[in-house]
Amino acid sequence: MSELVKRPTIVPMRPTGSETRAASLREILAFALADESYGFPLARVREILKLPPITPVPRAPRHVLGIVSVRGVITTVVDLRRLMRVEERPPEKHARILLVDVGGEVLGALVDEVLQVHRLAEDEVELAGVVGGDLSDHVIGVGRPRTRRDQDHAGRELIVLLDPEPLFARLERG
Amino acid sequence: MRAFVRASLEAELGADVAEAKSGFEALRLLPREAWGLVVVDVNMPDINGLELVSFLRKSDVHRATPVILISTEASATDRRRGLELGADAFLAKPFGTADLAALARRVLGVDP
Amino acid sequence: MSDLRDEFLSEAQEIVESLSRDLLLLDQAHKDGSSSQELVNEVFRAVHTLKGIAGMFGYARLGEVAHALEDLLDDLRLGRQNLTTELLDVLFEGVEVFQRLLAESPDAEVSDVDIIAFLEQLTSVGASRPPVEDALAAYAIDASVLAVLTEYEEHRLRTNVAKGVGLYRLKVRFSLATIDTQLEDLKARAKSIAEIITYLPSASGGDGDAIDLDVLLASSATAATLEDVLGGEGAVLERLTRGTSPVAPVRATEHHALVPPPPVRTPPRPTSAPPAPRMPSEPPLAKREVTADQLSLRSVAHTVRVDIRKLDHLMNVVGELAIVRTAVMRLTEKLRGRPELRQLAIDLHRINRGFERHLEELQDGILDVRMVPLGQTFDRLARIVRQVAREHDKEVVLVVTGAETEIDKLIVEELSDPLMHLIRNAIDHGIEAPKTRELAGKPPGGTLVLNAYQKGNHVVIEIEDDGAGINPQVLIETAIRRGIVSEEGAADMGRDEALQLIFLPGFSTRLRASDLSGRGVGMDVVKTNIGRLGGVIDVQSEVGTGTKLTITLPVTLAIISALLVRVAEREYALPITAVQEAIVFDPKRVRRVEGREVVTLRGETLTICRLDELFRVQSKARGRRYLVVVAVGQKRMGLVVDGLEGQQDIVIKALGKSLSRVRGISGATDLGDQRVALVLDAPGLLDEVLTSTERTLQEGRR
Repeated sequence: MSELVKRPTIVPMRPTGSETRAASLREILAFALADESYGFPLARVREILKLPPITPVPRAPRHVLGIVSVRGVITTVVDLRRLMRVEERPPEKHARILLVDVGGEVLGALVDEVLQVHRLAEDEVELAGVVGGDLSDHVIGVGRPRTRRDQDHAGRELIVLLDPEPLFARLERG
Repeated sequence: MRAFVRASLEAELGADVAEAKSGFEALRLLPREAWGLVVVDVNMPDINGLELVSFLRKSDVHRATPVILISTEASATDRRRGLELGADAFLAKPFGTADLAALARRVLGVDP
Repeated sequence: MSDLRDEFLSEAQEIVESLSRDLLLLDQAHKDGSSSQELVNEVFRAVHTLKGIAGMFGYARLGEVAHALEDLLDDLRLGRQNLTTELLDVLFEGVEVFQRLLAESPDAEVSDVDIIAFLEQLTSVGASRPPVEDALAAYAIDASVLAVLTEYEEHRLRTNVAKGVGLYRLKVRFSLATIDTQLEDLKARAKSIAEIITYLPSASGGDGDAIDLDVLLASSATAATLEDVLGGEGAVLERLTRGTSPVAPVRATEHHALVPPPPVRTPPRPTSAPPAPRMPSEPPLAKREVTADQLSLRSVAHTVRVDIRKLDHLMNVVGELAIVRTAVMRLTEKLRGRPELRQLAIDLHRINRGFERHLEELQDGILDVRMVPLGQTFDRLARIVRQVAREHDKEVVLVVTGAETEIDKLIVEELSDPLMHLIRNAIDHGIEAPKTRELAGKPPGGTLVLNAYQKGNHVVIEIEDDGAGINPQVLIETAIRRGIVSEEGAADMGRDEALQLIFLPGFSTRLRASDLSGRGVGMDVVKTNIGRLGGVIDVQSEVGTGTKLTITLPVTLAIISALLVRVAEREYALPITAVQEAIVFDPKRVRRVEGREVVTLRGETLTICRLDELFRVQSKARGRRYLVVVAVGQKRMGLVVDGLEGQQDIVIKALGKSLSRVRGISGATDLGDQRVALVLDAPGLLDEVLTSTERTLQEGRR
């Protein structure tokens, strides 16, 4: 038995700081939704799809847009705007479907735009407990990635880190 | 077994993996493209893994391709020979996804 | 990881099965005193692989056993151990242990398998014997050759040398494309006269399409004989001698037109074996006598254990091909319109017809592999009947007919629980105690008839008892008491309608509560489970005479012929087996009866359902609409749709978990061009529409 690994697609990525923080890195796929940035743990995102025709399903829960066939596998697509209770708008050119592994099912999540992958170090993440306030259980915390130009904590981009399981559990509740 | 190795490499390294179920099939696949890493079992139905390593090391194209040899810990001889022939690393069965991925990263020289 | 674990289980299962076959062959070889080296190595490799994968998937106990066995087998193949009957016994025992361990969950806290005892047994036969004396040193075998031998190969080399067997090197050039065939051929030819120790690929040779191999052989035959048997185009044989480096070729063969390798057909590999005999009826191989003939046929006489999902995958591919066929057909039609391309169109049409025929064959073949007779399930039920009858002190004779009726394996698996429940019910509630029966003028022993037969694309299973029957009046009273129906609703409830009450959730007469009928599971669950399989259940009963339950199921779930209908610009697929006819819908003929819309069709009243209203989708369609008459079992209704889009074979795919509770839809299907159509759940819709008057109250709660 042998395995041939073709063109390893791993690109060594390092945090901008020089110290190694390998263990505490969180990989996040950031996306835009109604002018806000959100992120799913990268490990949970299986694939990013351009918008295929979506077949609506009568009597489906309200947040469900319909179904698509991903290489023969029927996948439920959820409107994240509806689920996050932000103003609804028809998808535009940059809209994508993220296939997210929600433990037991891979769901499609319609987002406005895919932004980028961030590797957040521990000090770039504020967990929900620390942030405090009245946050829903599907918010893990917020990420504030450093950029070269801007080291000022307050001015950094803010990414709301979402936990797919409790988020999509809302489907059950309609 | 192959499925496991394949899944591990795909999941952990995001690598594009081709499977060969025998040494000959590997020989057939090898010339097709440039490979980043070869994972080979000592025990294969036709040519053995050591021979494949030796072949790779003699070939102009695959001379530098990293090779991980896997086998049972039972045979220290096989292990020694594999490394002497130029395998970059040896992994004893059974191993987990993380072991394989860590080793693959090491021989590929990429950071986790 | 659970996918991988499934894959592990099937891979492990496969390994253990081939292990058991190889052990039988080894046993045979041991008895005849024939050479078994290759088999021993085969067995070793199987156990080695098993150990490897067991470790990865957390089957620690299995891994431990495999490890111990592997050590023993390693000794055996390296000559540190002799093959004895006792050792074979232990190996067979090992297969047993593997099988039992695989049947258990790896995380199970308690196990029935005593591996300690087995491991002790292993140790007792495993006392090693000193290795054979080293005679290899006398041979000047290239160090580079020795370097690539595995420990085992080196051992074989030494053993042969020690026995005074000659060593040869055969240089061959194999084309990469046909290397397997050529290798099989070489192995087959070498088998009787030489042992192949190893194949050494040489990096120097090979222009990308071919590869040079050095085959290291041990043989007592003369060089000439070897050359006769193994020689071929471009093959060079040389003898390795003691004390010297390999000498020049014994005979240059490049120009000798030695017999070119005959165009061998590779023996069919296990994976490509012809459609395997049905597994359930196949006696386990391990119990068969292995004859000498079977020894050489061992790669042919395989059955294959296939994960049903792999068949689903194949069926998907067939579905994709059907889409391709349709596309080609459309193109052909276009070509027809161009006079100058007419001949081309005709040819293309003919080819496509051929393609279609083969595709159908393929589809039938895959469906056939999925089919299993109901007999196995019925056998299990027979045991239940005996058991339940004994526990209730009732006498029951079970009469089974139609056990040979075949049905999709997936359906069979889902069917045993509902059937078991119905059988328990029949004995518990249906068939009376012997004394009661005698008082009623019946024979003391009750009769339970289990009958199955195929009816078109459906399989019908009947469970009939000659017991007390169900009193509809009692059912109605219970239903009123439980608030399932109102008194007004019950007033005009017919007999048959009343009998249907037993299938409602929350309804259980429990006149005689019994543990055996399973308090938790009611007839509603039975009905839901059968509905999930695309089937329906009907009940008929006569007080004092008996009860008959009729289950109607589709033969297969994998691929179905469907009528594509259009509603509000969307396509839906309706299983053709549920479609009786389709006619133009005439709104003027609709009447309202008891809140339902009905039409009269050939003298019969038919409840109709406007799908756009039921699904709350806006239909903008003007003009002609259609009425599709849907029927399953005894139930019928008319479905109003905007258009009929034709008939097509479709592969039904399940909706994701998040949509599994959507009513009226049983799945979806890929129509090609990224188009997806929903598959209508005919039994579900019938049920919903026909029972929607009084009981909507109940439905709202689900």
